[in-house]
Amino acid sequence: MEKSRIVEELKPFFEPKGVAIIGATDKKGKVGNVIFENFKVNKEKGIFKGNIYPVNPKLTEIEGVKCYPSIKDVPEDADLAVISIPAKFVPATMKDIAEKGIKSVIIITGGFGELGEEGKRMEQEILQIARENGIRIVGPNCVGVYVPETGVDTVFLPETKMDRPETGAIAFVTQSGAFAAAMLDWAAMANIGIGKMVSYGNKLDVDDADLMEYFMYDDQIRVITFYIEGVKDGRKFIETARKVTPHKPIIALKSGRTEYGAKAASSHTGSLAGADTIYDAVFKQTGILRAEDFEHMFDMAKAFAKCKLPKGDRIGIITDGGGAGVMASDAVAKFGLKMAELSEETLKYMKEKFPPHAVAGNPTDVVGDTDAQRYKIAIEAFVNDPNVDVIVVITLFQVPLLDEMELIDILAEYAKKSDKPIIAVAMGGKKTEYYAKILEDKGVPVYLTPERGVRAAAALVQYVKYLEKLKE
Amino acid sequence: MKEEALKIINEVLAQGRKSLVEYEAKQVLKSYGLPVPEEKLAKTVDEAIKYAEELGYPVVLKLMSPQILHKSDARVIALKIKDEEELKKKWEEIHENAKKYRPDAEILGVLVAPMLKPGREIIIGITEDPQFGHAIMFGLGGIFVEILKDVTFRIIPIEEKDAWAMIRNIKGYPILAGARGEEPADMKAIVDMMLKVSQLVDDLKDYLKEMDLNPVFVYNEGEGAMIVDARIILK
Repeated sequence: MEKSRIVEELKPFFEPKGVAIIGATDKKGKVGNVIFENFKVNKEKGIFKGNIYPVNPKLTEIEGVKCYPSIKDVPEDADLAVISIPAKFVPATMKDIAEKGIKSVIIITGGFGELGEEGKRMEQEILQIARENGIRIVGPNCVGVYVPETGVDTVFLPETKMDRPETGAIAFVTQSGAFAAAMLDWAAMANIGIGKMVSYGNKLDVDDADLMEYFMYDDQIRVITFYIEGVKDGRKFIETARKVTPHKPIIALKSGRTEYGAKAASSHTGSLAGADTIYDAVFKQTGILRAEDFEHMFDMAKAFAKCKLPKGDRIGIITDGGGAGVMASDAVAKFGLKMAELSEETLKYMKEKFPPHAVAGNPTDVVGDTDAQRYKIAIEAFVNDPNVDVIVVITLFQVPLLDEMELIDILAEYAKKSDKPIIAVAMGGKKTEYYAKILEDKGVPVYLTPERGVRAAAALVQYVKYLEKLKE
Repeated sequence: MKEEALKIINEVLAQGRKSLVEYEAKQVLKSYGLPVPEEKLAKTVDEAIKYAEELGYPVVLKLMSPQILHKSDARVIALKIKDEEELKKKWEEIHENAKKYRPDAEILGVLVAPMLKPGREIIIGITEDPQFGHAIMFGLGGIFVEILKDVTFRIIPIEEKDAWAMIRNIKGYPILAGARGEEPADMKAIVDMMLKVSQLVDDLKDYLKEMDLNPVFVYNEGEGAMIVDARIILK
């Protein structure tokens, strides 16, 4: 698939010129109302720049916005249709959409293939109309698309019940709508920026492969994350993933790790090849990074979204607490990384500038009476040391003489000007959380434990090693 | 390669069978240049004696029956046969065992094979996944696969670097690399086998369901490998 086609085909889902909301209603709390409200509020805020065209034959206006009796009546600039009407009316509506010439459709409505034969039959009818008319469909049975930057938000859970994350460099794709909603809500709380989210439900048309290809060309997106339950077209998935991973990291969380089919197999190989083993193989072969769980997925994604890629696997650790430094060192071993051997110059530089009780080494311990400047000495030394590939800075903000904002600025400055990834670890409670958010906003990923920080570093290293292997 | 293999497969299918006996499976493998021992299928005990003399004692007898896939369980294998007298005795024994194990067992013949020099045991397997198609498995044989399940998979077709990654991927890799003063195994021979298997499966994917090369003896670097037993199950 050439670039122009997939980008052109999927672009209206993320930046529509005009959106028709079929099934929009003034009844508060109904799906068609929440989606309409999302767009309307975002338009009022100046985030959504397109036009909004509610479609409902029973209404002439919704909250002051002109309502159209049929999709056929909406103005020409509508290039995205969002459908939330009962399933049985969707096939006929698809015909109208085809006639109108709209090429991008999000079908929120459930009650299709997941419900049985009649639903499957309707899905096939819808798909046929789409194929014949060059229409791309997200859904059905989904929450659709969320793009904070352009104000596209078809997530039918109201903002009073679910927070929305800020914009960022992570693309998130999921089949499950409930998962999508929970994830967005959580990402908002965890201060994780989401560039684009797609929940595609029954995956009738647009699938994982289409989306990863689109995101490969999307400059906003630096890392693609997937919550995968199953893949429809395995070959297409593998081929596309192979094409994308040399350009952008893909992280996948695969559910259903249990084995199936094992009983039916009569050979050794068959009995050992559970679904999970096969997914493992697919991920290894395509360079997809596998997440152990939800937290791991976003820990990795955050590092890719904010950090430069390292040159190698040698980790340098700076801490103001000995114990945390040991925990980080253990994690370095656990995740198959190496502790950097600091150069003589680095050690000499730090020893000269440090008070005698601070420990120059790896880990370097600036100890509990540190100020921000002592951290600066260590960071500068590590940045300049050719033996260090990744710098993990453990900042226990609680120590008395440390000016938190000064340290934050130092970290942000070096993260920007150094070509090495800098990962911060901040353990603590509410006050730490406050400073961690500021630090993240300035582009440095922050982790709550040394282990999670080092594990995120390991993902960067794993991806770099994959890229190197490709060059061989 | 493909034509030869297909001929064997089609003959098996024509007989209404879904599984190839070891002899047939090895012929398929041989057509792709995979290393199988010099073996012959004897229909009578006199033929077996003739083949044993050609090969030179000691030899191995393996009874071939489409109904008996697990030959060890059915005790239809006789190892280290040192002369004609023993061969005759074992011939009777494995036929009786076969009858006890499966009275309806159809006997296609007895494979007369040379007694192979033991090597480090590996397993190479194939299975078909409903979503991703055929996958190849690699692992060390014996308890490593039976108990520890120390195996790794890739989707077919694989490239050379995939094969190397698979070998290095398993926990038992040091055993192949040469732990405790042992010489390294012939890893190139393993890679070569895996690539040939990948090619074979890619060609025959419409026919194959599962395949096990188990065990395969791998010898020291430069000395190659030999497929000791093989099983192929058709769709």
